Amino acid sequence: MDKNTDMPIYAVDEKSGAQGGPVNQGSPEPETTAAAKPTRTLWSDAWGRLRKNKLAMIGAIWIIFIVIVALTCDLWAPQWLGSPTQIDSSQMSELSKLPPSAEHPFGTDALGRDVLCRVIYGSRISLSVGILATAISTVIGLVMGALAAYYGGIWDTIIMRLADIFLAFPYTLFVIVLIAVLGQSITNVFIAIGLLGWPSIARVFRSAILSVKENDYVDAARAMGASDARIVIRHIFPNSVASIVVYATMNIGGAILTESALSYLGMGVTPPTPSWGIMIEDGQTYLATQPWLMLFPGLAIITTVLAFTLLGDGLRDALDVKMKDA
Amino acid sequence: MDLKNQPVPEGSHLLEVDDLKMYFHTQDGVVKAVDGVSYNLDRGETLGVVGESGSGKSVTAMTIMGLIDMPPGKIEGGDVRYRGLSLFEMTEKQMQDIRGNDIAMVFQDPMTSLNPVYTIGRQLGEGLRLHRGYSKEQATKRAIELLDMVGIPNPEQRVKDYPHQFSGGMRQRVMIAMALACDPDILIADEPTTALDVTIQAQIIELMQEMQEKNGNAIIMITHDLGVVADVADKIMVMYAGRPVEFGTADEIFYNPVHPYTWGLVRSIPEALVDEKKPLTPIKGNPPSLVNVPKGCSFSPRCPYATDRCRNERPDTYTTETGHYSRCHYSMDPEFVAKNAPTNSRRRAEENGAADAVAGKGGEA
Repeated sequence: MDKNTDMPIYAVDEKSGAQGGPVNQGSPEPETTAAAKPTRTLWSDAWGRLRKNKLAMIGAIWIIFIVIVALTCDLWAPQWLGSPTQIDSSQMSELSKLPPSAEHPFGTDALGRDVLCRVIYGSRISLSVGILATAISTVIGLVMGALAAYYGGIWDTIIMRLADIFLAFPYTLFVIVLIAVLGQSITNVFIAIGLLGWPSIARVFRSAILSVKENDYVDAARAMGASDARIVIRHIFPNSVASIVVYATMNIGGAILTESALSYLGMGVTPPTPSWGIMIEDGQTYLATQPWLMLFPGLAIITTVLAFTLLGDGLRDALDVKMKDA
Repeated sequence: MDLKNQPVPEGSHLLEVDDLKMYFHTQDGVVKAVDGVSYNLDRGETLGVVGESGSGKSVTAMTIMGLIDMPPGKIEGGDVRYRGLSLFEMTEKQMQDIRGNDIAMVFQDPMTSLNPVYTIGRQLGEGLRLHRGYSKEQATKRAIELLDMVGIPNPEQRVKDYPHQFSGGMRQRVMIAMALACDPDILIADEPTTALDVTIQAQIIELMQEMQEKNGNAIIMITHDLGVVADVADKIMVMYAGRPVEFGTADEIFYNPVHPYTWGLVRSIPEALVDEKKPLTPIKGNPPSLVNVPKGCSFSPRCPYATDRCRNERPDTYTTETGHYSRCHYSMDPEFVAKNAPTNSRRRAEENGAADAVAGKGGEA
């Protein structure tokens, strides 16, 4: 082959997909040039894949529904179902433990309050615990994971051993002890769950960074003169954050469960504030005779946690660059 | 501080690598990855660094760029001077200013060297925004010019594309454009064509030469393929086990090599002569472990001409008046060289200027 191919220098590139070189040295096969395809970002690609995942979309729709209900229930729930906390002592005996009916779709509890109304208001506690506690764990976890992975050495050892110690404690017991120390309030539930959730997030983020750090584009960025901070923020973070989005989404479900367990044990929110955990605790006495007292808050927990898990699963598939189908 | 606008001090070269030693301290022992590399480079020149995997080619380049993690790496001696200033005495901040701006690098694998989450334009502009303080709009505008310069069709459109929408050859063009964005003095290309199709390889090399003619930058071309540097290098350094074993002008290395390892490399270049079918001659054996380099000449275990002297005594550097040097006890013995040097290299010397075929790529002698 003559060195001076007189073709314009881009010509072969355009064709290489079809012709290939005479010897393809096991190099990655040339992707077809994408001039015809509309420009898409990774996030819009991911959204396209997520939309095709039915289960994830069901989860997402359920979460959006719960969020809307939790945000707006003050506007319509009391007029329809009465107060979630007030007890009308004059009518308590008539209203107590009514089975589900048109007037009280989920029935009423022992003190005559509407169960649907309490489930609706309980979503506020569950969602806020889920989201805020996860936010706290995620922020701590991201910083810890980033420090451990990027600086390595002694930082890595200290942080990861600390994480191991945290993970070695029985989780629920640790949360209870922490709340006992901090004092029992809903804020402290956020803090306790949030503080104890960071080790697993730090681990996930650390391993994501470690694998991203090995990529040539990180070396290329350093060779361009980028500083450490810039490399972490601009190059490593965006490429490892997908795993955290997935993990955090699932973690919300976990935090909701923990809050329910705490409330059930009497360490969560204080009555009469409705929470799904407290409602189950209240209803367990009547499991044999009035099962709806436990059934509906239980269903609320299951569906919501499941929705977060399904969405998290869907996000994992959608954000996986290797599954790029188009 | 923009070093590029300062003149090279009298008596120094643009880049001077002086007896550079980079060792890695590992659990298995000290790996002498780079053990006494020296060369000078001026603007407009191209240096080819040739050697097998693990011969220290890339580590040399990474050391110059200050990209080796220390520890485990440690500079055990020598110096690298850029425009007369020692790079090892610079602060990390000063090195950040030099990287990409004065000395830029093109990596081996274009498939993984671009960040998948950013558009081509944004990545092309990163150096300009870092070193020149360009605004986003200015950087994008310049990125379009750069894409056009390296022969990407339809640059206004492609600047908004993501790396996965580019083919391997095009990505390597983008990498070259990225490296050249800030008009660096020195472009280090670490096996820039190894991951590419053969058809694309020649184009990429040609592009780099074209850019060099335009910008006047120096190029350090690292490769394991003597053929790749045949047409483009002014000087060639052949490395083996962390040391340069032969250094000379491209003509000297191709037409008059004196080190048996270089002979081996020359013999293993496939030739595109039509009527003559002869098998390639491989170099037998494997490079030595860099923890346990043989006592004498590091190539002696694989060298067909090795004597007891080779096995026991480390060869000095033998330099001719033209600066062509070799680390072989017998390289100054014309009889030994004449008898054993590959015929193809001598034939090339005889046919000098004729339409011979170096590395199957043809070329001007």
